[in-house]
Amino acid sequence: MFKTLCSTAALMSVLAAPAIAKEFKFAVTTDPQSMDPHAVNSAPVLGFLNNVYEGLVRRGKDMAIEPALAVSWEPIGDGEGWRFKLREGVTFHDGAAFNADDVVFSYERASSEASDTRSWFAPVSDVIKVDDYTVDIMTNAPNPIFPDSIANWMMMDSDWAAANDAALPDKEAGNYATLNTNGTGAFMVTTREPDLRTVLEPFGGWWDEAEHNITRAELTPIQNAATALSALISGDVDFINPVPIQDVARLQQDPNVNVIQGIEARVIMLGFDQQAGAAESGQGGSDVFLDARAREAVAKAVNVPAILQTIMRGNAEVASQLVSPAMRGYSDAVSPYAYDPDAARALVEEAGLAGTKISFKCPNNRYLNDESVCQAITSMLAQVGLDPVLDAMPVQNYWPELRADNFDMYLLGWSPGTLDAEHPIRFLGSTPNSEKKLGSWNFGGYSNARIDELLPMIQSEIDDGKRQMMLDEVASTMQNEVAYVPLYVQPLVWGTRSNISMTQRPDNFFILRWVTVE
Amino acid sequence: MSDLSEIETPSRLRRMLDSDLFYAFRRSPVAMVSTLVALLLILSAVFAPLVATTNPFDPASLNLMNGFTPPMEPNAFTGESFLLGTDDQGRDVYSTILYGMRISLFVGVTAVLFAMVLGIVLGLLAGYVGGWTDTIIMRAADVQLTFPSILVAMLIFGIAKGITPIEYRDQMAIWVLILAIGLSDWVQFARVVRGATMVEKGKDYVAAAHLIGRPSLSIMLRHILPNVLSPVLVIATISLALAIIAEATLSFLGVGAPPTQPSLGTLIRIGQQFLFSGEWWILFFPACTLLVLALSVNLLGDWLRDALNPRLK
Repeated sequence: MFKTLCSTAALMSVLAAPAIAKEFKFAVTTDPQSMDPHAVNSAPVLGFLNNVYEGLVRRGKDMAIEPALAVSWEPIGDGEGWRFKLREGVTFHDGAAFNADDVVFSYERASSEASDTRSWFAPVSDVIKVDDYTVDIMTNAPNPIFPDSIANWMMMDSDWAAANDAALPDKEAGNYATLNTNGTGAFMVTTREPDLRTVLEPFGGWWDEAEHNITRAELTPIQNAATALSALISGDVDFINPVPIQDVARLQQDPNVNVIQGIEARVIMLGFDQQAGAAESGQGGSDVFLDARAREAVAKAVNVPAILQTIMRGNAEVASQLVSPAMRGYSDAVSPYAYDPDAARALVEEAGLAGTKISFKCPNNRYLNDESVCQAITSMLAQVGLDPVLDAMPVQNYWPELRADNFDMYLLGWSPGTLDAEHPIRFLGSTPNSEKKLGSWNFGGYSNARIDELLPMIQSEIDDGKRQMMLDEVASTMQNEVAYVPLYVQPLVWGTRSNISMTQRPDNFFILRWVTVE
Repeated sequence: MSDLSEIETPSRLRRMLDSDLFYAFRRSPVAMVSTLVALLLILSAVFAPLVATTNPFDPASLNLMNGFTPPMEPNAFTGESFLLGTDDQGRDVYSTILYGMRISLFVGVTAVLFAMVLGIVLGLLAGYVGGWTDTIIMRAADVQLTFPSILVAMLIFGIAKGITPIEYRDQMAIWVLILAIGLSDWVQFARVVRGATMVEKGKDYVAAAHLIGRPSLSIMLRHILPNVLSPVLVIATISLALAIIAEATLSFLGVGAPPTQPSLGTLIRIGQQFLFSGEWWILFFPACTLLVLALSVNLLGDWLRDALNPRLK
């Protein structure tokens, strides 16, 4: 009798095996600030929401564009715009059908004054509904890379937004869409507790075939790198991003854990306040960086190879410009600033800046070892006679601080969503102009008329050779004027339990639908 | 020198050496060792600029390439070697501990003094005046006792950080820390002083002082206060150890001393990131220093409590 029971139990467990819940727990340093796909243009938010919301197109494992909510697209006439054929039979998580009205609505929402993603739509003049499943996106000038540039433009249901009073994003105060989601993606958010946990469950009505086998996924923000690492080693979580760079060697020896390494598309750089009178009051040298010599001194004072050797343990590469060599349009015309403390000291003396207080803002939970890097830079600047005051803070306070112009110098990482050198020019190189939707992350107000003139020409140029010449000109202009000081290309280090397989993408987006749990 | 001081104040020194307290001290090896250790640590912190080999708080003197040098081993790039190794920024751990201990001790001592003054004043008032004053002060103390003191300190720290202008935050951080620890610590003092004051208040010498027309303030400060001080001394010593640990805890949680001016707690927070990767010395030495410092002060406090309490003998 007992034997029968046992064998029945064993049999049942075998039968039940395929249906066993595959729970996947993942930990990140920065909790996505918002669940609103149009409120915050930063990788933690867009990367996470790519699992919940979808765009007309999406990026595959090799980063190539593939159809998502649009099944096909073609240029209109002589480069006046692009016609998108929408996928039929797609529903949002709440059951509402997806159609052209939602595309028009999502355009208006994402390009509105209140949206942080406004710069994406600088080349767009209009979005027109042709019929329920056809949309024309008109551009100001021929734009050959347009479909490449909208993979992160996610579609929201117009009725849902209207019913919940979230027709416009609100990045500061937040609204219904900040905490709740209704996308078309493979996963639905079932619980959202900011900074605590976010639970996802697969969406049964998803239009695409599921490649993953997850039944439930839980995201936990763990700010302390060592805590995250212990959680991974002990099996409390199945995935952490990033693995502290100093622990890679040790982790590689653990049979229960896999380390997935790559080079991220993200360049870490220093930015400067270059607007007269806009800096902090009471800081003394508020207009220090109006003087190009001061920026050049910083460029020469920072010993990037030393930072990479010690803090990054040889796991990163020096950057020469705002994009990494893997990006399209990377310029060979510029090389990294050479470390030359004597020249930097001479520049500081010459500009009369010795002992000038510089307010240096830095995040402490956004980029790999960001606070350590900023501390090292602080020492290096002190060695050439400047007096930087470092203020490191969590990213939730960091962006508001930068938007409020409370800095002389700051640390920024930029990963071009389009994988093209044009992207940082639009966001970081253009003179800030809200009407033209340009320069929205150019916190320091860097401005150069020639670059503003070149940008639309780069966007509409079809000939690769001519386009590259213009990109080269922008890269060398920005280097000569020391618009930014590019430091290094950030390494990408993920850690997973060995029973998990997944795909790492160079934009550091974590795509849940490629995860399988054994 | 010692001759001179003996000549100047022979009776006072004699009195001290003859006292019960000193006799108890000489009979207790624990008290002697802990005093010696505490004094050694405190002196080396006070004279850190003389004892330390580098000044870790001067960013211009740091060389990043010295980072992560193990103790007593030459650095692979610069060839320099350090007694207790270096941290991630190339700071000499030995010097950083000395300077960090300075901050820890300064915060601890100042916070305890602040809590002591506040606690004595409120305790005296509550015990001497009584009535509504007593009720209000002691209920406030009771309410505060229901919250863990580290939580109260974090709350105060958060509010203070919010209202100080950004450009002064770094300079203010230490003072805010003192305020936060001091404010979360006064209750102990107030309770003891109140109790002792109520006992003293009923004694004849207080009544006599009243009769000859001394004002209340003078009675409180000159007559009662000296008689309630010995339990305060005991609490102050034990509180010092707790305040040092509280400072380390706050700094460990990242809300205390700024990373450019690390206290022991900040050093432990930094070192903790490198435990898994094998750079044990960044955490180990500051943690040991904190342990020894807090332990010696605590043992001293315990001994003092026993020595001053005749009933425990």
